[in-house]
Amino acid sequence: MPKRTMTLNLTDAEMGALERLSVRKDLTKTAVIRQALRLYQTVDSRIEKGEKLLFENDATKEKAELMLL
Amino acid sequence: MTRSVSHIYLLEVATGVGVEAELRDCIEEAQLIDWQTKWQPILIAAIKDLSRRGVARAQWPQSWHWDWRAKIAQMEGLIAFKGFSVICADVTQGLMRVDLNGLGRAPGQEGKPLVYVDYLEVAPWNRMDMGQTPRYKGVGTALLSAAVALSVEEDFRGRIGLHSLPQADRFYRDRCNMIDLGPDSGVQGLRYFEMTPEQARIFLKEEDEV
Amino acid sequence: MRLERSKKWWLARARLEADTTIGAGLLARDPEPEEDLEPSVTTAVEETRIAFGRFIRLMRRRRGVSVEQLATEADLDARELLIIEDDVHYLPEPRTVFRLALTFRVSQQLLMQLAGLAVACDPQLRREAVRFAARSEPVQRLTPEQNAALEAFVAVLSQQDPKKVT
Repeated sequence: MPKRTMTLNLTDAEMGALERLSVRKDLTKTAVIRQALRLYQTVDSRIEKGEKLLFENDATKEKAELMLL
Repeated sequence: MTRSVSHIYLLEVATGVGVEAELRDCIEEAQLIDWQTKWQPILIAAIKDLSRRGVARAQWPQSWHWDWRAKIAQMEGLIAFKGFSVICADVTQGLMRVDLNGLGRAPGQEGKPLVYVDYLEVAPWNRMDMGQTPRYKGVGTALLSAAVALSVEEDFRGRIGLHSLPQADRFYRDRCNMIDLGPDSGVQGLRYFEMTPEQARIFLKEEDEV
Repeated sequence: MRLERSKKWWLARARLEADTTIGAGLLARDPEPEEDLEPSVTTAVEETRIAFGRFIRLMRRRRGVSVEQLATEADLDARELLIIEDDVHYLPEPRTVFRLALTFRVSQQLLMQLAGLAVACDPQLRREAVRFAARSEPVQRLTPEQNAALEAFVAVLSQQDPKKVT
């Protein structure tokens, strides 16, 4: 599958977050970024259709909306 | 969109012979036409017959009302979803849609990304539950292998997850050695299975012996 | 994504499938099954079929006989009778409905419509069927109300139907 290259400039904090996610998710940093892109696009397309993204507290069953622009 | 074609083999049940087939990492119009004009008429006829013979619904082929055109339309333009198809003798033998947003639930895999199998269906003439000898075996397994291979390619280490159609529970548990996480109340009580990286490694391993 | 393996590899895995139909995924994300089939298997038919099954059961109970006994009396398969009384999705054999109409002395044509075997169901019959089904409930003995409902419905089904069912 042909791939295109992009250079990503990240702050220290961003790189730190990326590295921690990479460890937690057992993914390379590149794979984390690609995964984030997939998730972002999926969520965005559903919000565009009028759906809402909610978090639910398992214990209390309270729901809170994730505000995405 | 570039598509990849893997040359695979299916078992032709009538002759016991291996036949060449293609595993493609896409579902195109030709596959949807096959689904509509070749799969659907057989499924509808079978359902009518089962209904007339008074067979309980629980025993009907369980994915008979799936609309593959709708499933493909839903994933239009979204990079998180991928379609796969198996073609043999120029006819679509099986279809699968996967979601790369899935996260693991099995012990040790919690929160780790996996390839989730949204839908996997083989053509009605390849099914065991329609009262006739199936034409080809290996279609479902080929699609499952594709999901695992994709997971490896995407750095998910071969992790996959799926909700099993009830007739296939034993296959995933005993043949594929997937972890059975039990009935999922959020998904109509279907059993949820996951394959760990280690199980995936064994599943895909290249030796001739299984 | 390309997967390259030997022919032997693929065939060994194909054999592992044995007697299973491989499949995965949520069953009910798509529109309801009834929409895909012809009118003969829609909810409208199921409405009258509830009344059909209920009618058979109550008539049997009024006679004080078991399913088996009714089956013998009507020259029918007891298993089919059980399914008729219990499963609204079941489409009975025409001969079965014919025999039941004879046994209970009601109109063959109307009972066929009720069972979902006719092309169309008379709207009046459907209304009476729903009313009957709603008023009757499966209990050990018929209450006076059930008896009355059954009597009223029996009268409906005993009418000679001058219209042809096309």
